[in-house]
Amino acid sequence: MVSSILILAIGLGTAFGLGLLNRRRAVLALGLTLGALGLMAAMAVGWLIVLAQGAAPVEIYTAGAEPPFAINLRMGLMEAGAITLITLTGLLAVLALRTALTRMGRGSMAVVLVLIMALSGLVMTRDVFNLFVFLELMAISTGGLALLSKDIRAIAAGFKYLIISQLVTILLLVGIIFTYHATGSLNIDDIPETAMGFSGLGLALFLILIAVVLELKPFPANGWALDVYTAAHPGFSAVFSAASGTAMLVVADKLVKAAGPDWFAMFTLLGLISFIGANIVALRQDNDRRLLGYSSVGQLGLLLAVIGQQDVLGEGYLYVAGGLVLSHAVAKAGLFWMSIMVKARGLSDWAAIRVRPPLVIAFATFLAMLTGLPPFPGFYAKWELAQVLATTDRLPILAAILIGTLIEAVYLFRWFGMAMKRETDTPLGPKQIDCMVVLITLAAAFGLGALWGDLSENGNLFATVPMLAALFFLALEPMPAKLKNGLAIMALVYWFAAHAGVYDPMRLIFLLVMILGGAVILLASFNEDGRRVGFYPPAMLMYAGLALLLEAQSTFEFFAAWEVMTLGSYFLILRGKQSEPHALSYMIFSLGGAFVLLSGFALAADGVTPFPLSALSLVPEQVAPWVFALLAVGFMTKTASVGVHIWLPGAHAEAETDVSPMVSGILLKAGLYGLVVLLLAMGRQSLHGVDLVNVLAWIGAISAFVGAVLAVFQEDAKRLLAYSSISQMGYALFGLALMNHLGWLLAVMFVINHYVYKSMLFLAVGGVYKRTHTKLMYKMGGLITLMPFTFVSVLVGIIAMSGVPPLSGFGGRWIFYNAILETDLRLPLVLIFMSGPVGFLYLFRLIHTIFLGQLKDENHQIKEAPIWLLVPQMIFVAFLIGFAIVPGLVLQRVDRFLGTVFGDQPLIWHGRAVESAFGNWNPVAIMVVIVVIFVTLFGILIAKNHDAVKVKQFNIVFSAERPYRPETTHFAWNFFAPYRRAMGFMEMPLVTRFWGGVSEALSGTAEFTRKLYSGNGQTYAVQVILFVVTVYLIALGGVA
Amino acid sequence: MAQVSLLIGFTLILLGLYGALTNRDILRMIVSFTIADAGVNVVLVSVGYMAHRTAPILDSAVPAGQAAARIIDPVPQVLVLTAIVIGLGVTALMLAYAYRLFRLRGSLDISQFMDLKW
Repeated sequence: MVSSILILAIGLGTAFGLGLLNRRRAVLALGLTLGALGLMAAMAVGWLIVLAQGAAPVEIYTAGAEPPFAINLRMGLMEAGAITLITLTGLLAVLALRTALTRMGRGSMAVVLVLIMALSGLVMTRDVFNLFVFLELMAISTGGLALLSKDIRAIAAGFKYLIISQLVTILLLVGIIFTYHATGSLNIDDIPETAMGFSGLGLALFLILIAVVLELKPFPANGWALDVYTAAHPGFSAVFSAASGTAMLVVADKLVKAAGPDWFAMFTLLGLISFIGANIVALRQDNDRRLLGYSSVGQLGLLLAVIGQQDVLGEGYLYVAGGLVLSHAVAKAGLFWMSIMVKARGLSDWAAIRVRPPLVIAFATFLAMLTGLPPFPGFYAKWELAQVLATTDRLPILAAILIGTLIEAVYLFRWFGMAMKRETDTPLGPKQIDCMVVLITLAAAFGLGALWGDLSENGNLFATVPMLAALFFLALEPMPAKLKNGLAIMALVYWFAAHAGVYDPMRLIFLLVMILGGAVILLASFNEDGRRVGFYPPAMLMYAGLALLLEAQSTFEFFAAWEVMTLGSYFLILRGKQSEPHALSYMIFSLGGAFVLLSGFALAADGVTPFPLSALSLVPEQVAPWVFALLAVGFMTKTASVGVHIWLPGAHAEAETDVSPMVSGILLKAGLYGLVVLLLAMGRQSLHGVDLVNVLAWIGAISAFVGAVLAVFQEDAKRLLAYSSISQMGYALFGLALMNHLGWLLAVMFVINHYVYKSMLFLAVGGVYKRTHTKLMYKMGGLITLMPFTFVSVLVGIIAMSGVPPLSGFGGRWIFYNAILETDLRLPLVLIFMSGPVGFLYLFRLIHTIFLGQLKDENHQIKEAPIWLLVPQMIFVAFLIGFAIVPGLVLQRVDRFLGTVFGDQPLIWHGRAVESAFGNWNPVAIMVVIVVIFVTLFGILIAKNHDAVKVKQFNIVFSAERPYRPETTHFAWNFFAPYRRAMGFMEMPLVTRFWGGVSEALSGTAEFTRKLYSGNGQTYAVQVILFVVTVYLIALGGVA
Repeated sequence: MAQVSLLIGFTLILLGLYGALTNRDILRMIVSFTIADAGVNVVLVSVGYMAHRTAPILDSAVPAGQAAARIIDPVPQVLVLTAIVIGLGVTALMLAYAYRLFRLRGSLDISQFMDLKW
């Protein structure tokens, strides 16, 4: 390999050489600059490859002498990686900055080269004074490049930056000279490990380290940096965030390594404060570039904390830190470069990118990358970090990191929602080169994801078939929707067929519901014409997550699948017309739940990787209840148990017609599957004498009841169905928590039944919505004759769901009553019992208000729902009737399997009839009896039909005035007013108010805190000095 | 002697910082920073100072063999030279900025440039 000092020489040489060019040859100068950066990058990549293959780090001596008599540089794996990142960022940045650079001339290009050279030098040098020189070069060139922006505010921002770098210089130089005085050397490797404290060297090192920390823009002493981010040319901001940030992190790392582990705690603390603080303040930010600035500050803080955790990360340190650095740098640079094309600065102005789907993909990718979602490097790094922190009992640090990440996700995904759902007046200014720069960054993101997966000892997501299939659908986007739909269905059916034979009955049920069930629902998507851009990749991503979830053998695979599923479903839900806020709250709750899972898994694994799911049963007694509680909470977030349910109604109700059944009928089962896995492995756990399984039973019962009551009071048909899901999932949770054979059989029944009737009802209501353009039930009515098929499907659906004979819902009830007779949980039992009749109340409305009564004038012309919406519904109707007659087909196998789990066999199967200790259930006989009764009653009704009296709908007149809100006079509006008087208190949005309070508190803190950033350069300088003094005092206090 | 110059150096630094933080005039701030820089340089030199020794120039007065015992440490002096050069560069850039800022608003009051905040 060529000497890596050439990287510096080329940069510097070309920078000087540019001065010899004719002033007018700007294009040539730009070419030379690009060439030089390309050469530097090529060398760095070469070194990276050599070193990654295991070559030893190389020392480069200068001036013909060895240290400490001359400066030496080092090229190791970390250095090579950082310089590759820095030079490539520089290369792309020059492309992004091309207009500004040619306008300003060769001098500005020389400054870019000097900056990139200085950053590379910072990374390689092992000499503290040399470090200072490069740092000053960085400051001067940053000061120069800030002026590239056309935004005149950039001048003030650049000046503020220079003020702070003067302070940093003073701290650094004083620190360096006293370090030299104490050690007699300027070489970093000669700095002895030193404790923090009153010693001269201790103070000197503190000054050096805090100077470096200041360059990482720590919250709250960072107003100057934010101003640079806001006003500078985004092409340069990308370098400022990605390249400068990375270089300073490497510097921080090598200095703190030399100073010794005593300083790690300081880095961790400062890093975490910065991470959480910056993210909270970002919540109130509405300028895109400043938001990215806050996010940069936050990410650098996170990395500072990771540097502080290297004592426990051991060999995994480079993997974790590298994954996080690369995720931050690539994503942030990509976002800054995208912001060149977005011409207005509001967050919702990013709506302009919607005209270019590749840019939307890039946007989504970068956000997922920043949030540490799969399949990007940050995900693997986050997993690894969590494992280590949990193993070494550093749970508060883990908690802080996860909370910070969650807050970051809030504003990042809110931004994405705005970009997808809002409108802007400012069109996109797309230039081919800018697009190319963004797409190269996008490719790098995926490449790094694949690389990190490959390096992971837990397996590579890119090596899994479902994930590849989902990515494949990204490439299929230009195809027509019908073709893609066919392929998607085939893919799902194939996956089902390939795995149906190998799974145990329990997993088979979930495979049936999630994958084959998914294929059935996708039939409804044939209804869509055109290309339907943006539907199939997320849908397939969600199914990939579900498929991988069932495949998962280790906790890592499970968690990765969980996150993939969450990401896919978020994009899917966001497609709904009014779903912007609901998709966001879905994402936040899901991510929060996922982080709780992550902590639980990390706590359980105790450093073992990969940790098999089955080994959850072997978790030591003292941590087991905690693991159980964390995992259960995580899973219950997905099943929307009461307390963490508020995301569900909006997310399910506002989603598209064919998406609602997917996220309701299918996705909710993922939470149940998690609970099944958890309970199978860990069984009963008690914490401080409280049986956690009983707590689950309580939560299940309350969810079942509250969900049902809330459903009763809905006017919106889809919301009604959504609330009813909360209730149904409560039943299933209760069944599982009974921890007996019949309870589990009940849960399995619910998995199947809920999928079928909820999908069916959502499709039916969706069909009605397509025709009537309203979801409000009192605006419908009398549709029975116009939409007979839809009516049949709703009728069958509610019969099945309400649990009356003859359909399968009754089977569920029957098993359920048998199950509860065996337990002694009396109080939740009463609740569960009562939610049955409450269920009737709301289900009744679906038939009564939508299909019966009089037809509205404006609805006279409507037709039956589109055929493709009806096809899956009719399949479900056929299935429900079939399942009602021969439930044994599926249940018997599960029953036998549960027998092996619980070691009993309470049900005895006689052909089609089932017998338990408390009675028997003969589905065929029931069916016959019901049909006979039904036909008889129906005949009587028809015979007496001529007695009916017709009334008009709005035939109530108040004092001869037209009512202000005519719906108040409609018979179906506020249908259950008497019940509302009795039980309305349950409607009080206590939980909503609680989470609203949390969000308001955060937002208030943000509003209050960001006033710190007064905009005055002097104030910022005072803040920096106070920051240094405070940190020193706290550090001393820590020592003392 | 070394202590005195060290004290002077730190006094200059503090004076410079005080000036930079209390003067609203941008030019005065820049001058204050150069004072602080000068203070840093004095500190650098005085830390490297060793009593009763001579300049680190190897000639007939100081043969190479006795150099280690008779000359002062040359490193801090070199550092000071570099620091002075860099300080000059930064000061020049700040002055250039001051010029641009003045052209922008016709004022050199730092509190006039608070468009970016929060």
